[in-house]
Formats: sequence, C-alpha cells, structure tokens
Amino acid sequence: MRAAGEIGATKALARSHAEASPFNFRAAVARHSLPYALIAPALLVILGVLGWPLVMLLWLSLQHYGLRELFQHQGTFVGLKNFSTILADPQFAYTLRTTIIFTVVNVGLSMLFATLIALLLERVSRFVRVLLGAGLVFVWATPVIPAVNLWQWMFDYEFGVMNWLLTRIGAGNYLHHNWFENPLQGFSVITVIVVWGAIPFLAISLHAGLTQVPRELVEAAQIDGARAWQVFRHVTVPTLRPLLLVLFSLSTIWDFGVFNQVWVLLNQRPAQDYYLMAVFSFQESFRVSQYGLGSAVAVVMIAILVVATFLYVRQTVRSINEGGA
Amino acid sequence: MVTAIGLAAALVVAACGSTSQAINPADQTGTLTVWLMNGSAPQSVVDGVNADFKAKYPNVIVNVEIQQWSNVTTKLDTAFAGSAPPDVMELGNTLVAKYGYNGALADITGQKSSFQNSGTWLQSLTDSCTVSGKLYCVPYYAGSRAVIYRKDMFAAAGATVPTSMDEMLAAGQKLMTKYGSDPNFSALYFPGKYWYAAAPFVWDFGGDIATQSGSQWSGAINSSASQQGLSVLQNLVSKLSRADKTGDELKQDQAFAQGHIAMIIANGWEVGVITDKKSGNPSLLPNLGAFPIPSHVAGQTAPVFLGGSDLGIAAKSQHQALAREWVGLLGGTKYQSQMVTVGGVIPNTTSLVTLSSGLPAIFAAAAKNSRFTPNSPNWANVESSNVLQNMLVAIFTGRSSIPDATKAASDKIATILNASS
Repeated sequence: MRAAGEIGATKALARSHAEASPFNFRAAVARHSLPYALIAPALLVILGVLGWPLVMLLWLSLQHYGLRELFQHQGTFVGLKNFSTILADPQFAYTLRTTIIFTVVNVGLSMLFATLIALLLERVSRFVRVLLGAGLVFVWATPVIPAVNLWQWMFDYEFGVMNWLLTRIGAGNYLHHNWFENPLQGFSVITVIVVWGAIPFLAISLHAGLTQVPRELVEAAQIDGARAWQVFRHVTVPTLRPLLLVLFSLSTIWDFGVFNQVWVLLNQRPAQDYYLMAVFSFQESFRVSQYGLGSAVAVVMIAILVVATFLYVRQTVRSINEGGA
Repeated sequence: MVTAIGLAAALVVAACGSTSQAINPADQTGTLTVWLMNGSAPQSVVDGVNADFKAKYPNVIVNVEIQQWSNVTTKLDTAFAGSAPPDVMELGNTLVAKYGYNGALADITGQKSSFQNSGTWLQSLTDSCTVSGKLYCVPYYAGSRAVIYRKDMFAAAGATVPTSMDEMLAAGQKLMTKYGSDPNFSALYFPGKYWYAAAPFVWDFGGDIATQSGSQWSGAINSSASQQGLSVLQNLVSKLSRADKTGDELKQDQAFAQGHIAMIIANGWEVGVITDKKSGNPSLLPNLGAFPIPSHVAGQTAPVFLGGSDLGIAAKSQHQALAREWVGLLGGTKYQSQMVTVGGVIPNTTSLVTLSSGLPAIFAAAAKNSRFTPNSPNWANVESSNVLQNMLVAIFTGRSSIPDATKAASDKIATILNASS
C-alpha cells in the first residue's frame, strides 16, 4: 500500500515533470535573457557613444591622416608607425613624465583638502556648514573657462591682483613677476586652479560619506581611549574605503586628462614645458594637423588610464563585496 | 488632373530656375557665406560690397561672418573637412599654401584676368596665393610693421627719431632715464613671443628662417647672421622693455593706450585700436608718430615681414561664380581705395598705394623693404607649433643661450618643413 502509494506519487511527479519540461526550458531562457534584454538599450547607447568613437580613434591611430586626408576623408594605413614615432619623440617622454607627476600631486592635494574640509563640515555649527556648503557649490557651479579666465586675471603679469597683494603684504617684490616663466611655478598655479575646482565634488561626497559612519562605532572607540587620529585611521577610513576608492579613481581620470586649465591659462599657445598628455594630443591633431599622431597619443593615454584605474576598480569591487558579505 | 498640371508647372519652374543661372543675375538665388577676419575690413566697406552685390543679385543672400584670429586654423580645418564650408574666406597669407596644397581651395588660375588690377597685384601677396604655379586666391590687403612712438615723450626726454639700431637703443635709454622710475614704463614694449617684430632683426643682419635648395629645406635661424640680429634684439629688450617675456602681442595696444609706453612695433591698423573710443585712448592721437624699424646700417631700414590677407574660394563651394563676383568687388578698385582711406591698410595693388597719407603712408613705405616666410605648405605647422615664439621666450628669459635656442628651433623647423604632409 505504502509502496504503491510511493510509486503512484513518483509516477505523478514524473508525469508532471514530463509535462512541465518544455515550459520550464522556455522559462529558463526567458529568465536568463531578460536581464540582457533590459540592459540592451543602455548597452547600445554606451557602445554607440563611447565604443564607436574609441574604435574610430584606434583605427585613426593606425593611419597617416593629415590635412589632405581630412579633406578627402581617406587616410593611409601605416600600422604601428605613429606609435613608434611618438615613443621616439623626447617631447612625448617629457610629457608623459610631467603628466604622471602632475596627476599624483593633484590627486593627492585634492583628496587631502577635500577630506579636511569634509571633516570640518561635520564639526562646525549648522550655520557655518550651510555657508561653507554654499561656497563649495558656487565653486562647483562656475563653468571651467570663465573660472580659468578669472584666475588668469589674478595671476596676470602686469595687472594681476596676486602680484599686487604679495608686494603689498611684504612677501617680496612681486611687481611684474611672471608666474609662467618658470614651469614649476606655472604648474603650481595650474595645480591651485585644478585643486580648487576639484574640491567641491570631493568634499561634498566625503561629507555625505561621513554621515554614514556609525556613531556607536566612533563612541565605542572613544570609550576605549582612541584619540581623534586613531578614530579617523581605524574607524572612519575603513568605513569610507569604497567611497575613497571611487573618488581616487575619478580624480585620477580627471587630473590625468587636464586640458582646459593649461590651454586657457596660457592663451591657447602653451610652451612645450606645459604640455600635458591631453594638450600634446590636441596640439598634434588640431594644430599640426597630424590626426594619426594625435590619436596615437590619445590611445597611449587611454591605455595608461585603463591600467591605473583597473587597480582601483578591482579594489573597489573587492571592498564592496566584502562590505556586502 | 489638377495634380498633373501642378506637377508640370513645378517642373517648368524648376527648369527655369536651373537654366536662368547663366542668363539673368536677378533670378539667381542661394546663400553665399563669407568669413572675414576680425578687424580686417571696416564695416562701411563690407556694407558697400554687399549693397553693390545685392544690386546685381537681389535674390542672393550674403552672410558675412567675422572670425577671430586666435583659433582660426582649427576652425578652417573643420569647415574644409565638412561638406559645406564657407564659400569665400579671408586667409592670412601664410596659411594659403597649406590649404591650396591640400586641395581645399578652388583653382582660379583661369579666371585671373577677370579680376580688376590683377596685373598690378602686390608681388608678395600674389606669391602667397600661388602654389605649384596655380593661383588659389585673390590678394586682399597687406600690412607691415613699423614703430609707433609717443612724440611728447620723445620731446620731453630729448630723444630723436632713430635712424639706426644703435640710435634706437640710445633713444630708448634716454626715455628710460626720464620715465624709468614708473615701474610700468617701457621705452620699447616688446612681449616675449612677438616673433613678427623679431624677424626684421634677423633679416637685417642677413639671417633667415630657413633656406630651400631643391625640395629640401634647411633651418637658418641658427646662422651666425641670424644669431647676431637676435643678440642685438635681446640687448634692446633687456634694457628697454618691461613687457611680459612670455606674453604675446595681443594686448600691446591696450597696454600702449594706458600711457606707460613710449614705443611699440605694430601694424598700421593698430593706431586705430590704440585710439579707439571704447577700448583705447583717443586723446593720444596727436602725440602718435611712426618710423620704420631702423637697420643696423645707419640711414637704412630693416626688412619687415609683409603680412596680409588673401581671399580664397572653397573648392567645395556650390556657388563658384557668385563667390568670384563677391571677391572681385572687395578686391577691386572701388573698395580697395576705401580700404586704404578708411581702413588704413596697404591695398592689394601697387596702383593704389599712393592713396595712403599720414601715418599709414609710413607703414606703406616700410613695406617696400619686405620679406615673406618660407612659402611651404608646412609653414603653417611651424607657426602652429610656436617654434619661433618658444625660441624667443627661451632667449629673453635666459633659459637658453642664443646658440642653443636657435639650434633647437632650426632643427625643429627643418623637420617640420621637410615632413611629407
């Protein structure tokens, strides 16, 4: 009886399984392809807007493409010749070195000041916080070109307020001081402008992140006798780690591709000392009309960024996974 | 039935539209786009040309768009790469070779004689329009540089108009003694990147930018003659100028108008900028004088760069005949005369040069001893790469010695000029 019942049940199960099988297969296909169908429009847009230009850039970097080719819309395939040309160019080596140092310094300073301001925002009174936040948003809202023009006025050789101010407060004779004669000084000015522009986004994001640090963790640490620095080092930073990684990678991408600040500040004719990668690429392409060479510079630039940000992204994904688990 | 009649009527109209082009100018339609450069033609001249054009072609719309010099090559490259570039464009005379050689401009060799005064066009402008024996543009106007100075300051300092480079230094030193306590004062205001004002010094000692033998260019800016000219200039700049050693000449007229400068090297039309009612200082006009850049040989003048502009027609233009008509008006006797009398420039034909008087006449006279940059399709790339500007900055700021800076520039120029474009 019991056995018959079992057999009956097994039969019933087998029957229902046999009946459901085609349906289940279709469901499985639908279940697996649905996510892809849903992201397909976005993927298509991304491929069209980012992927296609990238493929064209790669293709252009393998061609001899000068002015005549531009007018006739027809380049000549030269393989990797553009890459060997730029790699042999001492200007390229200089530019690469300068850009890497510039990026490290700018990302470092931006993150440092942004973190300090974010920590400050957390501690000041509500009124001061609103005031400071508004100031940050104003900086953020200023379009780059007018902002750089304002800075240019301030550092002007003849009429600049900076020279006037420094002379006035007795910091030395800065009358007719040229901030761009010495590239180190010039890059300092550019760094000030880039960091100034980068702080608002970073500081506001970090402040938002700080509000998510659990109070009880901080209090527990304090009760255990941790000093402010130790709380920051062992409680705040680990909590903010995913956010910090994202901000670091974004800053690296932005600062590695700095163009406007140099180009506008130096009247669209920067001396070779001031070539950063993006400036060099633009100069080769649009000023000297060697679009193939310019594209090759851009491809190298992207390759370096991909390698650099890959490390960040891997860390980010890991720390998010750890946080999730 | 009605539709068929309508269609037939439309076809007839369309047929008329296409055949009448050759017959009746009054029936011609279309839009002619013209790019002129900022500051080239006075508005009254442009209006006059358009009015005359409209009288003949009442149904053609002419759009004159004013472009800025600073970024114009990038803008032109983009326009020529597209399918509908402007029909007519003003081109700086150093740019024509590049665009003519690369096929952007219409070859108008066959129509040369249809342009007024084409037999007496200024030789160096005609040369700038000629690439491999073919004519790619119509000369528009020329400009050459001379020294604009403050007569009142010269008188107060006891300086006289110099007739040699040594005298120029001496006059400048007198001015520095008299006014030098003003920290903003420059006897000769010379921004570091001002290559076209430096070239006369190089040419005057027999130097040059580059020389061509066969199809091969070799840099000459490091020859001993070129270096001699640059060292004389360096001495002048270090003793007489407090201008920005890394700056360019774009702001020099505004600076001059502020009243702390005794001499600048400038184009004739810059007198108008200095005395402009809005951006300049009109009260300076009676005190302004001009003299040609003196040679190191007393009594002679230094060769100057003959700048200027040409009018080109895009090869892709759909309105070749209309474009030639418009160019012919602006380049013809009537409006060239106005360019001289109103605009104060050097006209495109020797037959009208005598019309200039007063200060413009001094600039026109300076143009008699003039030179041009290497006429190569790659020359524009030398300009775009700022090779000579960077060389001057390196010399004036003391970052490189003259031999080192000129050697580096010379090598770079030769590389660029000899590159297959």
